[in-house]
Amino acid sequence: MRYISLVFIFLLSLDANEEYQLGKGVQVGSLPFYVGGYFSLDYKHTDDIDRYRVDDVAILGYGDYDRFSYLVELEFKEAYVETHQNGVKNTTHNDKLYTERLYLDYNFNENYMLRAGKYNSPIGFWNLLPINVLRETTSNPVSTNILFPKFTTGLNSSYISYGEGELKVDVMLQHNNDISYEYNNYKMNEHYGFGVSYEKNDYTVKLNGGYFHNLSESVVEDNLYYMLLSGKYESDKYQILAEIGSQKSKSDFTTEYAGYIQGLYRFSEQHLGIIRVESYDDRVTAIDDDMLIFGYTYRPLYPIAIKSEYQFHSQSEQNQFLFSFSVLF
Amino acid sequence: MKTAIIIFLSTIMLSTLSSADEYVVISNPKMKDLSTTQIKAIFLKKITVIDSINAVPVNLGAMDPIREKFENKIVEMNFERLKSYWTKEHYIGKRPPVSMQSEESVKTFIKNVEGAIGYINAKNLDNSVKVLYRWSE
Repeated sequence: MRYISLVFIFLLSLDANEEYQLGKGVQVGSLPFYVGGYFSLDYKHTDDIDRYRVDDVAILGYGDYDRFSYLVELEFKEAYVETHQNGVKNTTHNDKLYTERLYLDYNFNENYMLRAGKYNSPIGFWNLLPINVLRETTSNPVSTNILFPKFTTGLNSSYISYGEGELKVDVMLQHNNDISYEYNNYKMNEHYGFGVSYEKNDYTVKLNGGYFHNLSESVVEDNLYYMLLSGKYESDKYQILAEIGSQKSKSDFTTEYAGYIQGLYRFSEQHLGIIRVESYDDRVTAIDDDMLIFGYTYRPLYPIAIKSEYQFHSQSEQNQFLFSFSVLF
Repeated sequence: MKTAIIIFLSTIMLSTLSSADEYVVISNPKMKDLSTTQIKAIFLKKITVIDSINAVPVNLGAMDPIREKFENKIVEMNFERLKSYWTKEHYIGKRPPVSMQSEESVKTFIKNVEGAIGYINAKNLDNSVKVLYRWSE
């Protein structure tokens, strides 16, 4: 945690050129370098366990110069976890700093961009904005955790074309070990994936597919293939988001299907209501579950989120209440 | 009598049309022609390079009524949605366009910076800048 203190002291010492706004970071002098970050605290209650957690504490640094831009994100994951189960209290600390993202972009022109480094795999919609303060519920849909690698360390080539709408094609290539491989849902040394999305007016559809070579011991299969179909409708008042996909090995499905559909309604700028229905059949863990999730989010300012949600599971012992407080600065 | 009514109604319609304000999206004269989809993408920083030049979108101040009209018409997002958009973009390392307090400042900036693009009321237009798109409200 001493690193965090040092970073905060550094941030306070910055001479910002423009008025600071929460959620926008701060420029370091007049350099092409902006610093920001985020943190989240959460609470989970099930029939058996109460858990209090300092989940994410992260620092962001980014900037651009001419056609180059870069981003680095360092994070303490689960910095403090306290659980109470059957009257027994247990606490864990983690002061290891992970490299969550580290990449350099080069924009060739209005159509082509090349990225090198560790980045959020551009798969679906949820995985692009995975941090607590930016997503609409404290929990992540299960499908975003089990189907594909959340992070890729390698190259990402993007092509965007603007006609009546916006067509985007992504190609992901990894043929090396991860940077900070502990900080990924799969340990892997190969990932080849593609994404095609089309956005017009308030609608976007996206298709992803790919292969990765799995090194995680918890999953027996080495060679895994995934496919994900996503759709989004967004207006000033509503958002509807849906993703469904599957994962298979060479011989059989490892996850036959996993998906969700989520509706969001903005009662006002500050108050949001969310309903999500999820379903999955994961043969690796031999769990299949259906969930109905009701959430309410209060944002006194957009970069501050106070969220609560209740999850009803088909396996009722999994029913749970979640509460979180998160800030982007 | 019928002719008189038609002339009367036409006069009302014409006067209504002529009272609508006209606005223009303008750029440095060296900028190529752009579609509204491309203009939107530049203001959302999805396009950062155009024709080998760095694109530099310029907004008017946050409370300027022309900015609100531009964001509703071209960017197709209201002020609150754009606030959430730029907070999300901060996470992926992108900054919102710079803002200027007057149409005159926007015009001067665009005249002097290759790749600059902004919007003003058409009545303030002169031939130092290029018109990319016109609309009236």
